[in-house]
Amino acid sequence: MTGVTRSRIPALLAGLNGPQTLGNSRLFWVLWLAGVAAFALLPCVASRYQVLTASNFFISAILALSLCLIWGFAGILSLGQAAFFGVGGYAYGIVGINLIEATGESGAALVVGALAPALLAAAVGALMFYSRLKGVYVAILMLVVSLLLGLFMRQTADPAYAIGGAYLGGMNGLGPATASDPSIPNLTLGFGELVAEFDGRGRSFYWLALGALVAVYLGLRWLVNSSFGYLLVAVREDERRTETFGYDVRLIQLGAFCISAALAGLAGALYTAWGTYIHPDGFSVGPNILVVIWVAVGGRKDLTSVVVATLSLSWISIELATWGEISLLVLGVILVAAMLVAPEGVFATLGAWFGRLMVRSRRRPAPPPTAAAKLGAAR
Amino acid sequence: MSAPILEVRDVHKVYGGVRALNGLSLSVAAGEIHCVVGPNGAGKSTFFKTLIGVERPTTGQVFYKGQEVTKLPAFRRARLGLSVKFQNISAFGELTALQNLFVPLRRNHRKADIPARASAVLARVGLAGVEDTPVRQLSHGQQQWLSIGLSIAAEPDLLLLDEPAAGLSSEETARTAELIRELNRSGMTVVVIEHDMGFIRSLRARTSVLHYGRLFAQGGFDEIATNEDVRRIYLGAA
Ligand SMILES: Nc1ncnc2c1ncn2[C@@H]1O[C@H](COP(=O)(O)OP(=O)(O)OP(=O)(O)O)[C@@H](O)[C@H]1O
Ligand SMILES: [Mg+2]
Repeated sequence: MTGVTRSRIPALLAGLNGPQTLGNSRLFWVLWLAGVAAFALLPCVASRYQVLTASNFFISAILALSLCLIWGFAGILSLGQAAFFGVGGYAYGIVGINLIEATGESGAALVVGALAPALLAAAVGALMFYSRLKGVYVAILMLVVSLLLGLFMRQTADPAYAIGGAYLGGMNGLGPATASDPSIPNLTLGFGELVAEFDGRGRSFYWLALGALVAVYLGLRWLVNSSFGYLLVAVREDERRTETFGYDVRLIQLGAFCISAALAGLAGALYTAWGTYIHPDGFSVGPNILVVIWVAVGGRKDLTSVVVATLSLSWISIELATWGEISLLVLGVILVAAMLVAPEGVFATLGAWFGRLMVRSRRRPAPPPTAAAKLGAAR
Repeated sequence: MSAPILEVRDVHKVYGGVRALNGLSLSVAAGEIHCVVGPNGAGKSTFFKTLIGVERPTTGQVFYKGQEVTKLPAFRRARLGLSVKFQNISAFGELTALQNLFVPLRRNHRKADIPARASAVLARVGLAGVEDTPVRQLSHGQQQWLSIGLSIAAEPDLLLLDEPAAGLSSEETARTAELIRELNRSGMTVVVIEHDMGFIRSLRARTSVLHYGRLFAQGGFDEIATNEDVRRIYLGAA
């Protein structure tokens, strides 16, 4: 490596590293790159079914990261994160069905899939945070919002529930309103002549989902290590104290909540594009709790841990599914054991432990890029 | 004496059945150091909480710089130049010292200037060099100093310090007193709650005695220290 690249790389990573994330060393990033590369190459060796399944895992990981931001960093537990996922999914489908024939692409639908839940979050969040609702009440209120949305979507079997060419379809899920309307489109991105279609069952979609996960992960790393990230942690630790420094804590919470909802919505939109299918069951208790489990088991305060946990748990549950009835029991035992052994999260605990080991094994550890250096670099 | 920067009129604060403040009226002149003493449970901390706005008085009014702020939320009062160090340590344990200081400094300074400013504040409270240490790894005394540093970093016009010397050694306590005098000389009004009478004496400031949620006595330190009634409530409370 030449001297120039040696000095450039830390500068590039500076914005992504900091005390709010585990894994800031060069070794971490080398392993990280190796991991991403391995996933990128997976379709060359894996079966079509495995590729398809892994695409969905990446989408789940984006959803988990969205909860990690508000729960792990801002200290707001929501039991209704699947509501934003579902709203994003429906929004993608509705806009996609209506626009695909006119514009030939569904990128706008993807954008609406992220924006619609952010708007919902702005409305619900404003109500919650401005009435100073706290803790378990926020968690439960969000679950109620999700259940209500599910309840509403279930009773939309009447053909009157059509938005343009999209028919909400009640228990059957979203579909075309008439035989002449298109069904939920594949994700199709591009301008004019240059259009790429990503079939949810194919490799291209797999790479797209992987890219989206990497982008969301890096974006959130940057966010939590930025000044907004410090404020989120400050609010998590002591809301009142943060307020006495002149910050309207409600706005900070609302901001994080909307970003989180947009990411969950993005995941939902990708999910709908993946299976060209969206159904009211996504709003029920199960999916909501599942997200909380992914985040809690890995370590809610660390982004990397949440991704690793979500991918591992999703994979384990697919593997276990072939065992039949007993699979749920085994999964339950794994979860309970994980929570008992490492209440702060399995991978977060392992990561912290490994980090200390590395520091001890070197006589003079390379200091992690300091916050001071970072702020200086931002100049 | 100059115009009051702060005034509370007939403030009551009731928690369930407890009357934490019971008709407190008190004013603080701009530019002074003002000490507040009183037995445990006299309502001193509650007084501060109603000043900064994290608690609303049950009845009564609070004025700051001539403006009524009784119903103003805490973040708006902070923006008017009020800053507080609460009684318990209130630095953010999971942030580094520099990130902690980022919170008050970010409001008034450009991002690029913050590291230098933060280091200056840390040096001022005797914590030079701990910038990148997570706060939970600092000692009790260091965290106490950082809590003070945070409230100073906000560059307030009126600084409220609730027991700044608690848990500090006598040498550190003397340094705290010196810091308060220094801040005051630069124009800051400082209100200090303390139990340490040596510390209060060293500030040589006007002193208010709170008892059962009201103003019991007020005067110079010597006046208060020799007041028989004040001695009686302190002994009675002990
Ligand atoms: N949040 C609360 N809920 C119920 N009672 C409270 C609350 N805060 C304070 N009190 C009560 O109000 C009274 C005054 O409390 P405060 O903390 O203001 O006293 P203080 O003068 O600061 O005492 P100390 O010297 O021990 O710090 C006490 O009896 C206390 O128990
Ligand atoms: Mg007190």
